[in-house]
Amino acid sequence: MTEAYAQNKKMKKVHLSDKARAALISKWVFLGIMIVFTLYPVIYTVLGSVKTNAELTQGGGFFPSVWHFENYYKAFIQADFTKYTLNSVVVSISVTILAVTTTSLAGFAMARKDFAGKKILLALYMSMMFVSLGSVTLYPIYELLRALKINKTIFALVIALTGGQATNVFLVMGFTKGIPKELDEAAIIDGCSIYGVYSRIILPLSKPILAVVALFSFRNAWNDYITSLIMTISIPKLQTLTVAVVQLKYSVNSAAEWHIMLAGASIAIIPILIVYMFSNKQFIAGLTAGAVKG
Amino acid sequence: MKETISRNLRIKKTLKHNLQTYSFLLPNLILFTACSLYPVVWTLKYVFYQYGGYGTGKPIFVGIANLARVFRDKVYWESVLHTFTYGFGKVLIIIPLAFFLAFLLNQQKRGNGVTQSIMFLPTIMSSAVMGLVFYLLFNAYNGEVNKYLLESGIISRPVNWLGKDHAMKTLILTAVWGGVGNYMVYFIAGIQQISEDAIESARIDGAGKLQTIWYIIVPMLGPILKIIMMLAITSAFNDITNVMVLTEGGPNNATMVMSLYGYRYFFPISAAEATVPQYGYGAAVSVVSAAIAGVVTVIYLKVSKKLDDIY
Repeated sequence: MTEAYAQNKKMKKVHLSDKARAALISKWVFLGIMIVFTLYPVIYTVLGSVKTNAELTQGGGFFPSVWHFENYYKAFIQADFTKYTLNSVVVSISVTILAVTTTSLAGFAMARKDFAGKKILLALYMSMMFVSLGSVTLYPIYELLRALKINKTIFALVIALTGGQATNVFLVMGFTKGIPKELDEAAIIDGCSIYGVYSRIILPLSKPILAVVALFSFRNAWNDYITSLIMTISIPKLQTLTVAVVQLKYSVNSAAEWHIMLAGASIAIIPILIVYMFSNKQFIAGLTAGAVKG
Repeated sequence: MKETISRNLRIKKTLKHNLQTYSFLLPNLILFTACSLYPVVWTLKYVFYQYGGYGTGKPIFVGIANLARVFRDKVYWESVLHTFTYGFGKVLIIIPLAFFLAFLLNQQKRGNGVTQSIMFLPTIMSSAVMGLVFYLLFNAYNGEVNKYLLESGIISRPVNWLGKDHAMKTLILTAVWGGVGNYMVYFIAGIQQISEDAIESARIDGAGKLQTIWYIIVPMLGPILKIIMMLAITSAFNDITNVMVLTEGGPNNATMVMSLYGYRYFFPISAAEATVPQYGYGAAVSVVSAAIAGVVTVIYLKVSKKLDDIY
C-alpha cells in the first residue's frame, strides 16, 4: 500500500510538473516577446551607431558588416558632441546637487518645525503638485531669468531644470517624519543647535531618500529635452546632448546622417545605461517610495 | 515691567525660531516661487491679455477674448480629441499589460529580477532621444520596421507608419514601450502588499490561476489600482516630448495633442517651423487644457468611488 501510495504520488508529481512546465514555457515565450520588444530599439541604436549610413537606410544585416567606430569620432569632433556631453554632465550634476540640498533642508524644516505661514506654504506646495500647465510655464521662467540677466548662462538651465521640487520636498518631509523625534530631543539636550540636529542627526539618517531624489533628479536632467531646448535657444553652445541629438533631425543633410544620429543617441543613452546597471534596484525601489509614500 | 520683558523675550525667541526655520526653507522657496508659483500666476494673468512677447510693446488687456477664441478654435478641440484618443489608447494597453507582467514577475524566482530590470529600462532613457530612434525605425522608406515586415511577408507594400492613418497608433505604441515598465513596478509593489495567505487559501479552495487573479488579486488591488490608473491618465495628458520629436503633432495635426497645441503659441515645435508667438492665447489654451485634465480626473475619481460602492 505504501508502495502504491508512493507511486501514485510520483505519478501525480510528474503530471503536475508537466502542467507547470507548460505554464512556465508559455510564461517565458510571452516574456521573451516583451523582452525583444523592449530591447530592440536600444540594441538597434547601439549597433546602428557603428554602421554606415547606407547599411542603415538601404537594408543591411542586424549586425554591422564592419564596425565603424569612426562614427563616434565624427560625432564627437565634427558634430561637436564633446562640448554637449560636457554640458550635459555639468548640468545634470549641478541639478542633482541643487535638488538634493534644497529639498533636504526644506523637507527637514517642514517635517520638524512649526513656523509662521506653515499651513499656507504646505497648501501652496500641494496645489502646485496638481496644477499642471505643462511646458508653457517655461516662457515666464525664461523671462524672469532674463530680467535677472542670467538667461545667457548655464545657471538659467540649471535653475529651470531643478524647478520647484514640490514632490521631492514632500517625499523628504514624509521620510523625515518617520525618523524618531527622540533623537532630535536627545541631541538638543546634549547641546545641539537646530543646525546641529539637521547636520548630525537628520541628514545622515535621511540618506536613503536623498539617494532617491538624487537618482531621479539626475535622470530627469540628463534626459530632459524641452526645458534644455528652450533655455539654450539663444545660446547654442550651452546645448545639452539630448537637444543636440534631436537637432540632427532638422539638419540639412539629415537623410545622410542616420549613423551620426545613432552615434549621438548612443552617447546620450550609454551613460545612463551604465548608471542603471549599477543602480537598477534603487531605481525600482525609489519609484515605489515616491509613488506610495509621496 | 517684568512681564513686558518676558513677553519681549518670547517674541524675540519666536522671531529667532522663525528666522532659523526660514533659513532652511529659503533655498527651496526661491526655486519654488520662481519655477512653480510665478509661472502659474503669470499664465493666469496673461489669459486676459494680448501679448507678443519681449520687445513687442505693452500687453493689451482683452478680457475674455482669448478664452472665447479657445472655445471657437476647431483645431484646438480636435487636439483635445486626439489627446483623449492617445490617452485612452495608451492607458487601455499599458494597464492590463503592466498588470500581467507584474503578475508573472512578482515572485522571487530565477530570471524574474533580470526581466523586471529589462522591462523597466525604457523609463530611464530620454523620451526625446528614443523618439528620434523611433522616427528612424518607423521611417516609411528606409526604416527597419517596414524592412522586417516586408521580408516576412506580413505587408506587401511599405506602410507609412508616420502618415496620417497610422501616426497615432505608432505614437501610442512607442508610448507603451516607454511606460509599461513604470506601471509594472507600481503593480508589483501593489501585489506584494496582498498577503500570501489570501492567495494561498484561494488556491487551497481550488481556485485556478485566472480565478485567483480575478477574484483575489484584482479586488484586493482595488485601492492601489485606482492610484495607478489616475497616474496613468494624468501623465498621458501631459505627454509632450515624445509627440514633439516623433511626429511634431503632424502630419496635418493628426497627432496634435493639447499640451503641444498650447506650446506651439509660445515656441516653435520644430526648427523648421517659424511661428509668431501669441502668449496670451497660448496661456488661455493651456489653462483650458489644465481644466479639462482636472475635470477628467474628478470624473474618474467619482466613477471609481461609485464602483467601490457597488462592490
